[in-house]
Amino acid sequence: MNSMNDIINDLKNKFNPINVDVVNERQFAIDVENEELHTILAYLKAQGWRQLTLLTCIDWIKENKFQLVYIIYNWENPITINVRTKIERDNPKFRTIVSIYPGAEFYERDVHEFFGVEFEGNERSTKPLFLELWDDIPPLRKDFDPLAYSKKKFDVRDYKVDFIPKEGEAE
Amino acid sequence: MKRELKLFLGPNHPGMHGNFSVHLYVDGDIVEKARPLPGMLHRGFEKLMERRLWMNNLALIPRICVPEPDINEMVYAMGIETLAKIEVPERAHWIRMLILEMARVAIHMMSFGGIGGPTGLYTGPNWAISDRDLILDIFEAITGARIYHMYIVPGGVRKDLPDGIEKKIEKLMDDIERRLPEYEDLILRNPVMEKRLKAAAPLSAEVCWELGVTGIGLRSTTGEPYDIRKVEPYARYDQVEFDVPVHKGVSYAYDRLSMKFEEIKQSIRIIRQVLDKMPKEGPIRAKISRGSALRWRVPKGQVYSHVESSRGDYGYFIVSDGENKPYRIAVRGASYPQGLLGIEKYLPGTRLEDVAIWLDTMGVCSPEIDR
Repeated sequence: MNSMNDIINDLKNKFNPINVDVVNERQFAIDVENEELHTILAYLKAQGWRQLTLLTCIDWIKENKFQLVYIIYNWENPITINVRTKIERDNPKFRTIVSIYPGAEFYERDVHEFFGVEFEGNERSTKPLFLELWDDIPPLRKDFDPLAYSKKKFDVRDYKVDFIPKEGEAE
Repeated sequence: MKRELKLFLGPNHPGMHGNFSVHLYVDGDIVEKARPLPGMLHRGFEKLMERRLWMNNLALIPRICVPEPDINEMVYAMGIETLAKIEVPERAHWIRMLILEMARVAIHMMSFGGIGGPTGLYTGPNWAISDRDLILDIFEAITGARIYHMYIVPGGVRKDLPDGIEKKIEKLMDDIERRLPEYEDLILRNPVMEKRLKAAAPLSAEVCWELGVTGIGLRSTTGEPYDIRKVEPYARYDQVEFDVPVHKGVSYAYDRLSMKFEEIKQSIRIIRQVLDKMPKEGPIRAKISRGSALRWRVPKGQVYSHVESSRGDYGYFIVSDGENKPYRIAVRGASYPQGLLGIEKYLPGTRLEDVAIWLDTMGVCSPEIDR
């Protein structure tokens, strides 16, 4: 099982992917149902995709969905696979993958902090990591407005200009 | 009764690039518990990128990792080129390699000398920073800037190399190579450093796989040349010869440091081949609706583009919805696994003075963690 087509065919035979997108000759993305994600990740890990490169989230606000993206890499057969699944945007919850890829622990905390997705089974997934004393909706959601937040949070400050440019100097 | 003592390492520490705090719970001088506390310099790069035009982001991304800004430009450009199916001209590929390898020498110099911070050997950084500065001079001549070059752009590079720069680079590489034995004497063969580093901050292959550690960490334990330049060559790395230094078994700080030293030699070897094999003339940038950066759009799609940084696999996950701004960009900082989980899981049991040595030899660069 070396070429990318073989891998895709193998995955199509063993699982029920919703869709497969070929990105380039060394990368493809596979969309799966929520229930199948853990099985497919465990299967791919056993096949040599031992490294979890990144776990991230995309806010598809128009669809009212979050898309979780698990990027995994195989150093022996250098193919990147982006395993993706969509979850509901309201009260988002998903099962952790820490038992498959222990390195996901902090990525899950990251996604929780910036998108508000709670990972069940990861005890510390809701513990603050980056944003100390944050008191608004998670900031990487599309409906978070940084300008409104800073207006609400900080007073308008008057700036005093005490530099008087001489002739020929830039203002 | 045992007393628990909590110590703060950082946010500012000579062994660390950037502000990054670690809370250490110690018993005597043995670490019992370590908690990383990023968020000291959170600048919200990912959100900022969503709010700027594709071309505007070029000025923002080099700031994600200050000591090695060029890899950010490279992964960003590579991602857009994949999505928009842009063919990069041949000469641009070689110029990109030249820039990336010089950047690698510069950051390895910085961290090779940087070990002087946690160990107290301050001659190391003094020498290394001054030699690194000479590389920055070359960057200034090529790009007009010393640190934030904004030189590698989607479709190629921003402008051609200035006349006669090849000779200057050649001379600088000869000079640096001549200096390397002195560095070896000063740092690697220094009895104090050997004593401090040879049994410090151990890392095993199982831990690397568990955490997702890449780069020198992974290569120094598995004995395999796991380097993206080798296994998945980008630019024209498949047309140059170089070796990837490896080491098998448990790696200690000393092994990782000496591998950085070997990598400097290999980068110099690559730079010489690039100067030799590079097409002497030709286009350096593909035409991509120049002059209308405000209206420029990238076709819909998602891509993870990655390169081998000096600290391992470094990449951007880029999502485009076909508009003039990125829909989402996620940064995969190479120091994420070893900087967060690594600190928490594998620092307990080590001595207090070895904490900064772990941070330094694992190449933890805090802006990559809290983008």
